[in-house]
Amino acid sequence: MTQRLDAIRECLEGAVPGIMATCAADGTPNVAYLSQTEYVDGRHIALSYQFFNTTRRNILENPEARLIVTHPHTGERFRLRLRYLRTETAGPLFERMKAKLAGIASHTGMSGVFRLLGSDIYRVSEIERIPGAALAPPPPRASLLAALRAVSARIACCRELDLLFAETLAGLEAQFDIRHAMVLLLDGSGTRLYTIASRGYEASGVGSEIPLGQGVIGVAAREGTPIRIGYATLEYAYGRAIRAATEASGLADALETEIPLPGLADSASQLAVPIRAAGRLLGVLYVESPHNLRFGYDDEDALVALAGQLGAVTLALQQASEWQEEVLVPEPPPQSSAGRPVVVRHYAGDDSVFLDDDYLIKGVAGSIFWALVRDHVDTGRSTFSNRELRLDARIRLPDLSDNLEARLILLRRRLNEREACVRLEKAGRGRLLLTASRPLTLVEAGHGGARPDDACC
Amino acid sequence: MPDQPLSAPSAVPESPIDADHAAFIATAGVSISVGSSGADLLPSITRGIGCRIAPDRSRISVFVVADQSRELLDDVRATRRLAVVFSEPHSHRTLQIKGRDAVVESLEPGDRERVERYRTAFTAELGAIGFGTLFTHALIDSGGGDVVALAFTPCAAFDQTPGPRAGQPLANAK
Repeated sequence: MTQRLDAIRECLEGAVPGIMATCAADGTPNVAYLSQTEYVDGRHIALSYQFFNTTRRNILENPEARLIVTHPHTGERFRLRLRYLRTETAGPLFERMKAKLAGIASHTGMSGVFRLLGSDIYRVSEIERIPGAALAPPPPRASLLAALRAVSARIACCRELDLLFAETLAGLEAQFDIRHAMVLLLDGSGTRLYTIASRGYEASGVGSEIPLGQGVIGVAAREGTPIRIGYATLEYAYGRAIRAATEASGLADALETEIPLPGLADSASQLAVPIRAAGRLLGVLYVESPHNLRFGYDDEDALVALAGQLGAVTLALQQASEWQEEVLVPEPPPQSSAGRPVVVRHYAGDDSVFLDDDYLIKGVAGSIFWALVRDHVDTGRSTFSNRELRLDARIRLPDLSDNLEARLILLRRRLNEREACVRLEKAGRGRLLLTASRPLTLVEAGHGGARPDDACC
Repeated sequence: MPDQPLSAPSAVPESPIDADHAAFIATAGVSISVGSSGADLLPSITRGIGCRIAPDRSRISVFVVADQSRELLDDVRATRRLAVVFSEPHSHRTLQIKGRDAVVESLEPGDRERVERYRTAFTAELGAIGFGTLFTHALIDSGGGDVVALAFTPCAAFDQTPGPRAGQPLANAK
């Protein structure tokens, strides 16, 4: 092979459609335009199988094919000799292509026409540059390797989980010029992701949730593969996906949407990269842009590498926080809280918590908050250790993978963003300080209590 | 999507191409892709840079750059098989025309001008969807090399515009 497939990956992005020749068993040639070509690895590409057409019938009869792809900037053309190997109809490659195809269909007015039935995998045995003129390539954007190195250096210095996420997002903006990004973590139940940090949105959306399998983020998490689309598509718009899921499950899950997911209204390019460590999924790093085709194969590679480091450091910090010695600090004198009491209402069914009529949080973070305020009101305590929370039978941490530290970050941010009368601060290593500026009246609403109206709208 | 027949019908008395199709393939800024196959059933492919069609539409000649099309020219000489796709980028309107008697010919008087007119029309078409002139010129650049004509009798033609009619023979698709 004279030319490496990796070196011409940009030609597979589809700015100029690929053209493919196949031939039937009787020798009749056929030419087809391809709406999608996907780089698989240094020796394989995948083409979308959307209809049972002549191309499809030909490759099943005779697996030989020739493909011409065009460089989107230089106009150079490359001719590839292909041999059809197999078709995948599920799994990471299929989902990656399906999401991308939805974007292409939407961009070309072919929504409802283009539908992925399978990913046809071909081995590439020859690549030939077709003689002809070529334009000079555009000057490269900042080196992605240099950007990766700079962000890696920043996150290697982080000792706290919340700082780690903030530094990662700040680094993406400073080094990659990626201005809209978020980090989501997998819930201990393994069925949903919750936003732990974001950057570049009007509202942070911290605490917002997305079910596995919904939108580019949910599909990336479910399949454990990056999902990258170059054009906006309603099919993968997570706002829409969330709404549909909520409507399907009725009002019971209305709190899912109580905290809106952050997101660009005019998002065009989207890339969701799974964060994995020690063989398991921790969450998703998600970036987006209002520009078409903003993220290429190289951006994807860079963010996959970054997500690898983010995962390793996340895991290391989580484990460190579980083992670290707590530093005992004296209980501060009781703070005087004045004014009208705030009613803190807890619903045991989903551990949702409301401050007066305002929704605060639910799930594990809700049960942590409820335990803290109960102890605070019942015993006057204000400081708590992470270790006792971890062992507290009232807090139902599903398992070790549902990290207490991350839940505390979530809870602290929600309280700060709501400008709540209750706040949580760090009080030395492994300890928390709860402060309440108004008296608290606790109401256990149990499993069936009526919720404040505005929570379900 | 319906399949097209495995073997094209034998010589048809009338061209499957009507005047509207003829105008589309010979004068619109369409992308032209040309395929053939060898006796060993290996397909070959190249890009076309213009087209001439006889007034009675019985014969079509597609222009290709010899240097860029060595395998395909060998295949056409050996098997005379040809498939040509004409596709208009902005509308996705696409036709595929097949032949079984293709021959490699020299250009005729007027063909150079046809290539030049094609370049202008294709540049305008791609310009309308955001591609610069220089890019389009690179895409159909002949590198100053020999341009030859692949002349054939259209024996079958299919609508390949994406959608429910894709793959139907042209006469039925109308």
